[in-house]
This record gives sequence, C-alpha cells and structure tokens, in this order.
Amino acid sequence: MSDFSKLLERLVAGGVDFVIVGGFAGVVHGCTYVTQDIDICCDFSPANLLRLQQALAELHPVHRMTPSRKKLALTEKTCKQLKNLYLDTDIGQLDCLSSIDGLGDYRKVKQASQLIDVEDMQLHALRLDALIESKKALSRPRDKEAILQLEAIRKLKSEKRSHPQQPAI
Amino acid sequence: MVRSHGKRAKSSSRQKDAIQAAIDWGIDVSMLSDNIRRSYAERIRRHQIALDTVDKLRKAKHR
Repeated sequence: MSDFSKLLERLVAGGVDFVIVGGFAGVVHGCTYVTQDIDICCDFSPANLLRLQQALAELHPVHRMTPSRKKLALTEKTCKQLKNLYLDTDIGQLDCLSSIDGLGDYRKVKQASQLIDVEDMQLHALRLDALIESKKALSRPRDKEAILQLEAIRKLKSEKRSHPQQPAI
Repeated sequence: MVRSHGKRAKSSSRQKDAIQAAIDWGIDVSMLSDNIRRSYAERIRRHQIALDTVDKLRKAKHR
C-alpha cells in the first residue's frame, strides 16, 4: 500500500534536496484528483542521488520501467549518466526528474518553489503559477483537468485574498 | 495608465472564466473551495485516504 507521507519523510530525513512537482504538487495546492505516484525534481548530483538511494534503501527501490525491475544500485559513476529515475518502492512510486518542461533545471525549479509545512516536515513544492506553467508546457490531454482545477484554485485564492472575511452564505 | 487598467481587467476576466471553465468541464468547484481552506497536511492526509480506497477497490476487482 502506498504511503506518500512516509515516502516524503524518508527523503527529508535523508537530507535529499528535492521539490515536489507534477500531480502531487497539485494535491498540495488543493486539487481533488487521486494520483498514483509522487513526482519530484531533484538535484542530480551524485551526492544527492546517493543520499536518495540511502534514504529509500529499506523500501526496496527498483527501476520500475525496466522489464526485470532492476534493483536501484547507483554508484557515483552511474549517477552521472542519469537524467530521470522512475522508481517503485514498498510504499509507493517515486519519479525523480532532473528538469521540468517549461521551467528548466533543478536550480530554476527550486527558485519556483515554496516551502510548505506538513506536520513536522518542511517541504519544497512547486508554486501554483509555476505548476500551471509546467503542466501547460507538456500539452498532454490527460493534464487538461488538472490545469482546469489549478486555474480554478488560483482564482478562488485570489478571491479569498480580496474578500478575506466574507461571511458564509 | 489606461492600458495597465485594461490589462488588469483582461486578466481578471480570464481568471473569472477559470471558475466557469472548471464547472463546464464537470469539476465540483465547491470541493476545491473546501480543500483550499484545509492545511497542506490535511490535503495530503485526505488524498492518502482516497488513494487507499482506490487501491482496495482495485484489489477487490482482481480477486
């Protein structure tokens, strides 16, 4: 069974430098759909990827796109050849991306992120505007509803800011 | 100045359309509205409950 909070806790505890992006970032911003995996954009330096591997070690991470579901066994040398990692673990799927369409590399993605408090954790998640931009850049039909939800959320939030103490109807 | 007001009005009308576009697509905007009043932790917790339910239904279907 997936447990996204625990997966994120592991990454934070392991000192992995990452930003939540994709569908799960939409959930963070208030979207109501259900997503089956967590997408993160992370620093693809060998040091960070090895921290990620260590953080997930007890969760039996495998490359889920390989036919034999190869065990995650990164070395400093193999890290340098990677651009994305599509993993499955005992508690959920995790996609690690080195860049995001419409935004750029990890440095730019981190600049477009905000810090959010989730219980005892502080996480970086893509800001709403940047998330909409990245979803639009992909031009995938399956993102249509997500974009509509995110744009509606942006509008609702701006209305809330304009009328902060509007009485309930 | 006039131009800048025009730009703002256009942007505001585009944003107004965002709600209508969501409704037209069949999205329950009241659920979005409820959700943005919740904390990040609560949104993630509720998503997890929904995901667990989807997993259970999927497993039941394959039994």
